[in-house]
Amino acid sequence: MERSSVYIRMRQKVRVVLHQGVRLEEIAQLAGPAKTVKALQKAVIHVVKPEDKHLIVIDIMTVVKRIQDILPGCEVQTIGPAQSILEIMYEPKKLNTLFFILVWLLLFIGAAVAIMNFHEDVSMQVVHQKIYQLITGEFRQQPLMLQIPYSIGLGLGMVLFFNHVFKKRLNEEPSPLEVEMFKYQQDLDQYVIIHENKESEQKQKQKVSDD
Amino acid sequence: MINVLLLIFVGFAGGIAVGSGFVAFLTVLGIVPRVMQLSKTYRFIRSYEWSVILGAVLGGWVNLRSTTFQLSPYLTIVIGLFSGVFIGMLAAALTEVLNVLPILAKRIGFRDKLLVILMAIVLGKVAGSLFHWIIYVKL
Repeated sequence: MERSSVYIRMRQKVRVVLHQGVRLEEIAQLAGPAKTVKALQKAVIHVVKPEDKHLIVIDIMTVVKRIQDILPGCEVQTIGPAQSILEIMYEPKKLNTLFFILVWLLLFIGAAVAIMNFHEDVSMQVVHQKIYQLITGEFRQQPLMLQIPYSIGLGLGMVLFFNHVFKKRLNEEPSPLEVEMFKYQQDLDQYVIIHENKESEQKQKQKVSDD
Repeated sequence: MINVLLLIFVGFAGGIAVGSGFVAFLTVLGIVPRVMQLSKTYRFIRSYEWSVILGAVLGGWVNLRSTTFQLSPYLTIVIGLFSGVFIGMLAAALTEVLNVLPILAKRIGFRDKLLVILMAIVLGKVAGSLFHWIIYVKL
C-alpha cells in the first residue's frame, strides 16, 4: 500500500437533518492526492440520531480515527478548528402568533414605563422647563414644543444606533446588534465545543465498555 | 481666604470626578464611535471630543447660572430633537450592553422577527415619553 497524506480542515458549523449520514466532505475540507480525497470524502462519520438532540460536536480525533480505518497508514495533517459543530435542523416550529403578540406588548409596555421612570429619576421635566426658560425667557409648566420633538428623537436615536430604519438599512456595515448576536453565538459555540464534546467522549467510553 | 481656597478646591475636585465619570460613561457605551461609523467621519474624532467637552461645560454653566436668552421658542424644537436622538442612542446602547436582545431572540426563537421586536422597544419608548409629557405630568 502506497503512503498517502491528506490535509484536513474542519468546518466551524454545519447544519444537518435527522437520520442523515454525515459524510466527511460535509464537515471538513479535504486536500491531497485526488485518489485519497476520493476514497475519503464519502465516508460517513456520524449518523444523526434523535437522541443527539440539537447539537453534536465531532472532534477531529474521531475523524482521524475514521480515516485511519479506511486508509491505514494515511498521514493526516490537520489545519484550523479541532472540531465541527453539527446543528440538527428540525421542522421549524410554527410561530405562535399569540405568544409573539404577548412578547411584543411586554417589550412595548416595559420600554414605555422604563423611559417614564428614567425621566422621573433624572428630573427631566424640570430640566426641560429650565431649557425652555433659558431659550425663550418665559417659564412654561409644559414645554411641549421641546418635549414632543424630544420624544420623536428618542425613537430616531435608537433606530440610528441599531442601523435600521424599519426594513431599510442605512449602510452595509453590521449593526452593533448583529455584532452582539454574533458574539453571543460564538460564546455559545465555545461552550458547546467543550461541554458537548466531553459528553460525547463519555458516551463513547460507555459504548466501548458495553461492547 | 482659606475658606475660599477650600471651596475652589472642593468645587474643582467635584468637577473632575463628575467630568471623568461622564466621559467614561460615554466611552463604555460607544455612542461617539457609532455616530462616526454611521456618518463615516472618523477623521473628525478630535473635534467630536471637543464638542462633547464644550457641550458638557456649557450645559453645566447655564444650568448653574440662571441665564436666559430671549430667543424664539421654535429653537427648542431643534434642541428637543437633538437631545432626544442622543438619549435614544444612550438607551439603545444600554440595552445592547446588557445583551438583552440576543438572548431574547435566541431563547424565544424570534430570530427572523428581531426587527419587529426592536420596533416594540423603540415605539414603546416614544409612546411612553409622549404619554409622560402630555398626560402623566398633569396627573
